[in-house]
Amino acid sequence: MRKYIIKRIAISVVLLFFVSMIIYIIMRSIPTSYVETQARMLSQMPGAKSYADWLAQLNTTYGMDKGILEGFMQWASNAIHGDFGDSWQFNVPVVEKFQSVIWDSFKLGSIAFILQIFIAIPLGILAARKQYSRSDYTITVLALLGISLPAFFFATILKLIFSAWLGWLPLYGKVGRYYELLSGFDQFFDIAIHFILPILTLTIVGVGGLMRYTRTNMLEVLNSDYIRTARAKGLSEKRVVNYHAFRNTLIPIVTILGGTLPGLFAGALITETLFQIPGIGYTGYLAMVSGDIPFTMFYMVFMAFLTLLGTLIADILYAVVDPRVRVS
Amino acid sequence: MDNENKKDDKSINKNDKSEETSYQANSEDNSLSNVQRVKVLSPGMLVIKRFLRNRLAIIGFIIILFMFIFSFIGGFFSPYDETQVFKHIGTMSKEYVSLSLNEQYRYTSSDENIYNSNMHSKFILAKNKGETNFILDDIKYHISEEGKDFYSIFCLEPIAKITYFRNILSVNLHEGIEMPEEINNYIKTAIEQGETYFKYNSKIYVLDKDGRNYILESTQNVAFESLLIMEKATKDIEVTYEFKYFLRKALMDDEVSIFEYNGERYELIRDEYSISVNHIKPDGKEPYALASEFSIKSISQDVFLSIEFKKELIKTIMSGASSFVYPDEHGEDIEYNILRNNNMYTVKKLTNTHLISIHEQPSLKHWLGTDQHGMDVLTRLMYGGKISLVIGFIVVFLETIIGVVMGGIAGYFGKLTDMVIMRIVDVFNCIPFMPLLIIIGSVMDALDIDPKIRIYYLMLILGVMSWPGIARMVRGQILSLREQEFMIAAEATGLRISRRIFKHLIPNVIPQLIVLATLGLGGIIIYESTLSFLGLGVKFPYASWGNIISGVSTAYEMTNFWFVWIPAGMLILLTVLGFNFVGDGLRDAFDPKMKR
Repeated sequence: MRKYIIKRIAISVVLLFFVSMIIYIIMRSIPTSYVETQARMLSQMPGAKSYADWLAQLNTTYGMDKGILEGFMQWASNAIHGDFGDSWQFNVPVVEKFQSVIWDSFKLGSIAFILQIFIAIPLGILAARKQYSRSDYTITVLALLGISLPAFFFATILKLIFSAWLGWLPLYGKVGRYYELLSGFDQFFDIAIHFILPILTLTIVGVGGLMRYTRTNMLEVLNSDYIRTARAKGLSEKRVVNYHAFRNTLIPIVTILGGTLPGLFAGALITETLFQIPGIGYTGYLAMVSGDIPFTMFYMVFMAFLTLLGTLIADILYAVVDPRVRVS
Repeated sequence: MDNENKKDDKSINKNDKSEETSYQANSEDNSLSNVQRVKVLSPGMLVIKRFLRNRLAIIGFIIILFMFIFSFIGGFFSPYDETQVFKHIGTMSKEYVSLSLNEQYRYTSSDENIYNSNMHSKFILAKNKGETNFILDDIKYHISEEGKDFYSIFCLEPIAKITYFRNILSVNLHEGIEMPEEINNYIKTAIEQGETYFKYNSKIYVLDKDGRNYILESTQNVAFESLLIMEKATKDIEVTYEFKYFLRKALMDDEVSIFEYNGERYELIRDEYSISVNHIKPDGKEPYALASEFSIKSISQDVFLSIEFKKELIKTIMSGASSFVYPDEHGEDIEYNILRNNNMYTVKKLTNTHLISIHEQPSLKHWLGTDQHGMDVLTRLMYGGKISLVIGFIVVFLETIIGVVMGGIAGYFGKLTDMVIMRIVDVFNCIPFMPLLIIIGSVMDALDIDPKIRIYYLMLILGVMSWPGIARMVRGQILSLREQEFMIAAEATGLRISRRIFKHLIPNVIPQLIVLATLGLGGIIIYESTLSFLGLGVKFPYASWGNIISGVSTAYEMTNFWFVWIPAGMLILLTVLGFNFVGDGLRDAFDPKMKR
């Protein structure tokens, strides 16, 4: 087992190396005039360095003056030491900006994640137990609706209903206008109110997939021989479903949920952007649109890292949770 | 609610079927030769039958069919074009005239080459210092105050050197200049009285002190400076400098009401704020010019303002009113509104112009109203659907081709080939998809790429980025398929490897491919519309469901122009839902094992 994990980690590291290289190559292939425009723009900001200084800095930080491979090596060696350079858009070190925004994303993601679990798993199991029943069809349609809903459209509808019509919730932003004037609990309440719509969007848009997954797995389990045995033994249907079947359904679900755990830090690009929640997704979006190469580079590699970590966790959990699947 | 009925229908159908079969079994001959009894359906027919039995799949199929008709055929039936802008005639308050109270001297020069703004600024300086002369570019100018707020400017030319000592005057004329003798008396009087200039023969001569001596200079009028502004009454009149100068002089005397110039008679009519000049002709009077302390300019070049209008305007402004009515050339009364900004007044006029019908409410002409560009929303939805669907299909086609080839090769050869291809798949899986699309979108923005070419790039990128899923599935299937007997048989017949992969292995994966492709279509449409919504995908003037929604951003637009974005969003939702229903139904139809 340990050998397997070490092997997987080694593969992941190699993969991450190549992924960041590809991202670097893409970034380098962006026409240089783009960097020059960026330098010109940055030099015009109040209190900024001159155009020539900026251009020189951009070229050295990214090894633009060197070959692509050499430049990448330079970037990678800096990155290993935790130095991702300074963000052009935010004028602070990339890592510092990252630390200041990641927790909002994590809060949004984890609350939506918990809500999804509590909605999707019971409903998925219900749908599977009563396959082709009224509730099964309803749940299937709802799940597919959730999958088919574009996040931006759903978010806009929520804004229309709750912000524009009812006026209950704010249109966007993380804090209200008078946040600074509020006392402790009111501040918390202010943020909570701003987080409701984004969390709702994330939950509804993401819940469908998990629901379908639960249903499919539960169906598979309910069709298996040991469930027939349990029924033949004369156990009550309740015990068969809630005890024998449920535990076995949990195996693939726990695996896939474990895989999504790193994703909680990934932030929701579209949702955060639409609600202007200053999490990693919105920050990344701003960086990308403004051509902030240091932050974009970091953001992309960070996302790739999370994906790799997710698959790794899922694979390891699969072996850990299900004793039948021990990898040789 | 629909689902309940569906489900009930379904169970009823099922019961009917079983009753039917049992009935047949009982009534017919049980022998196997009975074709009716052992009616065998082909696997394809079985799939179709199972698919048709699935209500959701049928609904999805109908939705997609509708979308196709709507997008591909709808465009032909729509009376409008994708980018047709609708206009209507409406009144708009347009800036018409600007007016300011003149508080600065303005010059009127005989020739712009002789006297221009350079001399004018020198004049202002000299006047403020109380000097009567100024020098510019070695040429001397003389300022002569003719009256209140009225100065004449003369260009000086030295003509003689004068020595005056103990009442003896000697005049040394410069070469080529001749002067009558009697001018000497004038010079003498002027010097004795300490004057710096004198008039002789209605011409001014200037005495400039040069040490003990004097220099006599002849003058030539080049310009005058005045606070009064004189404007001609109609476009065709040519008013000469001489006339203006003459008129300005005539205006100084309040008594003068009729004067003669060049044998023509002119009449002056004074009112509180302005003086109008009429040309008296044998057959009647004709407005000729207007003098006032106001500078009145029309905003557009081709409008010439009549004296009457100007007078009315001045009167209104001086009375403090903010609007007045004045008939236009067709005799129709038009209201003018006056906005004041310090000493500047802007007159706005309600004019009829072609306005773009922005955000028009739904009507019979425009079933879903018009958008922010004044284009018919319904028509744009049709064209947008076409683009979204075409992008979806091309991308899915592309990703399936790449996925099948890569997956097939990896699965069939295994070992090192498999390892390499699967690692490539892993790498592609790791590259964050949406961020990459956003980066490429914003780079294309920065490079100003043509919206049409953008669409092709978009398809290419989406296709190249999304094949790993299909490759992985194909490879997984082929890994198990290649161990089966039919592949050993295929190998034994000595078929080429490419034939073995693509003729014998891939057809076995087709069902899964169809399901993946159908579900993938929905995903691609969501990606495309999200990108277009962010303004990084399909760009104006091309329509896409995503960029139609992005037209509304503020709460005001959201609530009031629902007819623009709600239909577009619903179309995206329905289309994706349709593809998901169909994909789901196909999966069930191809793989009945999942049914209990």
